[in-house]
Amino acid sequence: MRAVWETLPSLAQDVVIAVALVVPILVIAALLMRGFRAHPLVAALLWRFRWANLMFVLLIAVSVGMGAGLIAQERGLRIGTARAADKFDLVIAAPGSEMTLMMAAVFLQPSDVPLIGGEIYNAIANHDRVEIAAPIAFGDSYGRSPVVGTTAGFATYLSEGAITGRLFETSLEAVVGASVPLSLGDVFTPAHGHGDGAESGAHAGFEITVVGRMDRTGSPWDKAILVPVESVWEVHGLANGHALEDGDRIGPPFDARFFPGTPAVIVRAKSLASTYALRSEFTRDKETMAFFPGTVLANLYRVMGDVRQAMSVMSVVTQVLVAASVLLGLFILSRLFQRQLAMLRAVGAPGRFVMAVVWLYGVSLLVAGTVLGLIFGLVTAGVLSGIVTQRTDILVQASLGWGELHLALAFLSVTSLLSLVPAIVVLRRGIVESLRA
Amino acid sequence: MTLGLQIDGLSVRTARGRVLLEVPELQLAPGTLLGIRGPSGAGKSTLLHALSGLLGIASGQVRWGETEILGLGPEARAQFRAAHMGMIFQDFLLFDELSPLANAALAGLFARPDRRRGITEAANDRLVRLGVPDGARTVATFSGGERQRVAVARALATDPAVLLADEPTASLDRGAADRLIDDLDRVTRAQSRTMVAVSHDLRLLDRMDRVLTIEDGRIARDEARAA
Repeated sequence: MRAVWETLPSLAQDVVIAVALVVPILVIAALLMRGFRAHPLVAALLWRFRWANLMFVLLIAVSVGMGAGLIAQERGLRIGTARAADKFDLVIAAPGSEMTLMMAAVFLQPSDVPLIGGEIYNAIANHDRVEIAAPIAFGDSYGRSPVVGTTAGFATYLSEGAITGRLFETSLEAVVGASVPLSLGDVFTPAHGHGDGAESGAHAGFEITVVGRMDRTGSPWDKAILVPVESVWEVHGLANGHALEDGDRIGPPFDARFFPGTPAVIVRAKSLASTYALRSEFTRDKETMAFFPGTVLANLYRVMGDVRQAMSVMSVVTQVLVAASVLLGLFILSRLFQRQLAMLRAVGAPGRFVMAVVWLYGVSLLVAGTVLGLIFGLVTAGVLSGIVTQRTDILVQASLGWGELHLALAFLSVTSLLSLVPAIVVLRRGIVESLRA
Repeated sequence: MTLGLQIDGLSVRTARGRVLLEVPELQLAPGTLLGIRGPSGAGKSTLLHALSGLLGIASGQVRWGETEILGLGPEARAQFRAAHMGMIFQDFLLFDELSPLANAALAGLFARPDRRRGITEAANDRLVRLGVPDGARTVATFSGGERQRVAVARALATDPAVLLADEPTASLDRGAADRLIDDLDRVTRAQSRTMVAVSHDLRLLDRMDRVLTIEDGRIARDEARAA
């Protein structure tokens, strides 16, 4: 059985789980309602206690929405960060924290990291297995945008060639990300540092012209200003990686004697096997550290997975509490219309019909609350995604998945079973006592 | 179809043994209109509930035609009521959110599918005959008299052999009560239905063929009235 299950595609598994969760509801509905038309009475009762019902529906919606929204958001964040790191197969840097390096090189979070020298850079760049080896240089900014020094080849690779205008050709030209508030032809002077502490006059006299704009990548690089790495070195009064006789040439190859250092080299290998080989080769004690940002993210996701599990448990606990309140509410509401229910029994309605009315009433509230909750969860996840995207430029797109649907259906399935309890209790009350209530 | 009533040794007692009602013997010919009167708490409604099989604590025999209703289980009693009895309550017990027709055809919601159309048509016919205003979306705005006429139409929609009424005029003003008494008299006698009505309303009791006075859970008087 397990073997058969594992041969099914994941979509089929999801559909089977969803159907299995819906089956108990359908079975109860079929058993209780077969041959009856309970819905006119249920509609009447729903309308009669509409405000109380609305409160129950909202309570259920908030509970389901919170669970679904948080889980969808966590998944959206995971997919968004993975997509943002997609272009970064391998990063080689000086030994240190992989996480810090990844945050700096992939997600452009400012941090102080040690540099690697020209000889190592050249060893990487000239390696047979390497297709692209882009040095990067940080430290400057313009407004909210970090100015990142790199090579034209990396800019092309990052944007997949989708650039309006052209690539930089001199050290005083820049290509901007899709979110940078600069237009083609604009001229700017980078500030030294980032944020409120940036020194705007530190690089006075260096005027850089925007010559290209990358299409949106859905990564923090959308808010980056890409300049030739030589430009960053030059504005800091360092050598620019080339011998004097090379003139104003930019881009590789670099002369190791005039290479000021780079915090990281972004490497694109010629094959997957080469990527692993390069990581192994450039993981050297006290010299270089090579790592896959994807692996670092995977470790992060493992931690996030624990958080997600905790969130799921919290969500289930919340939903159990809400289910208990809904049941209590059903008891109270069934008390409010017990005379009508007793009248039904007095005029000859079968017990199953009366049970069907009470059960369908409760399940209507639960279904309405669950559907509203899923919509609420989707909207909440969308809003949170927008905030995260705005703050980090990591494109987070949260949408409801099978996990949330299963959670909602499980809630519905369990609570629809529990809704039989008030229906049975109503049936056990004496007809005459209820008529006189 | 009409049904007569035969009671033998009917006794209703509380769990502690207090007697609520004792009716050693009572016979009612089919098509009889029986009034039940008596002071509050005497056992009038208890008798009506025992006759309809709503009381779980009644013992003895209550036979409607060939059916001994106390010998049936709860679901069989419900089936019997649905098939042979129409019930009218003091405060109508309508669904305010439903139309007059939906209220009157209530039994159609749980009847066999092949009977639904008939019940709806009968309910519509009773509403017309009772002069209930048509076209109303719900009964929420109806007067007490109109609401009770809808309740009567509901009781008659299944064409029952027996009509059981618990203080049917108590919530109505005199004019509405008199109109309802006329209606009840007409719809029961026209079809030779048996009716048992608990009431303090002398005008209603005057229309009955027979009136029982219940005191302290026992039949104190059994009077035949002239037709």
